[in-house]
Amino acid sequence: MTQEIPMTETDRNRTYATKREYRTRDVDVSELGTAAEDGVELRMHGVDHTARPTWKLRETVTFYRDILGLPLLHTISARGWGHPDHPDFLHFFFDAGKGATIAFFYYIGTDRPERYEPEDSHFYTATHTAWGVETREQLERWKETLESRGLVVSPYTRHEGLESIYFRDPNGYPVEISLRLRDVMEVDAQDAALTLQAAMELEDEANAEGTKIGDIDTIWRRKAALVGEFLEGK
Amino acid sequence: MPRIYVVDVPEFFPLVESARKRDDYRVTETGKGYFVIEATGSLQFSRKEMQLKPALWYGMFTGGLDGEITEWDRDTVTIVDIGKKP
Repeated sequence: MTQEIPMTETDRNRTYATKREYRTRDVDVSELGTAAEDGVELRMHGVDHTARPTWKLRETVTFYRDILGLPLLHTISARGWGHPDHPDFLHFFFDAGKGATIAFFYYIGTDRPERYEPEDSHFYTATHTAWGVETREQLERWKETLESRGLVVSPYTRHEGLESIYFRDPNGYPVEISLRLRDVMEVDAQDAALTLQAAMELEDEANAEGTKIGDIDTIWRRKAALVGEFLEGK
Repeated sequence: MPRIYVVDVPEFFPLVESARKRDDYRVTETGKGYFVIEATGSLQFSRKEMQLKPALWYGMFTGGLDGEITEWDRDTVTIVDIGKKP
């Protein structure tokens, strides 16, 4: 029997704060040590798991396990530990291939705070994970199969070096399935550095003036100056 | 003279190929990761001719833009010298 626990004002005001000390946003990152200084190379070896909270347990399991058909690999169920504001939870993992998993936290007895409601906005969908496939046939199989199972899937979108389809899960989280069209090359990294250098210079200048970068054309013009210098060997 | 820098990667080759068809555009292969496309008048490109998908069409000046864009819709983009925008 399910026990209905009425939500109190105190519950509503609970922040479920982690009170962790590693809050880098309060740190001046320019004061930190760098890889170039200590010479230690830290490298990652692919994805172990991504994790997001869910307040829709059954729908999430149905969607990932039964509709997408990704095997459920592991579930952790535990008392909230380490801090009084840590709710009891389930943490469960679906197979995403190559040793990676898609994970969720289901916090027992909590309500989804308003700021965790899904939004139809570019800022919201910027937080997503793109899961890879190896061939164009596999990408097409994903799109056609999910559509035949009744899901709405985006058209194919061809980006620089990548082709993707998009859909959303029952929590409102965006999911991207991507086919890499070519390997990244040295020229990509060289160009990436110059684009971001142009943008960071302009961000610094805008910050100093209390304004914002006006548009992408402004960045492209600064970039042209930087590329011009680069090609002249300056 | 409006000028663009095109990153030397396959997805942007249509820009270079399109420019090479124009006698009035100069295309330089720098061998350092960029093509330079410039013209004494304005530079103009057509999406239909280059068959670029929208995500690439709207990011094709990522290599650098030395000029001003006077019009840019779904199929045509025109670039003129800085300060020459009508």
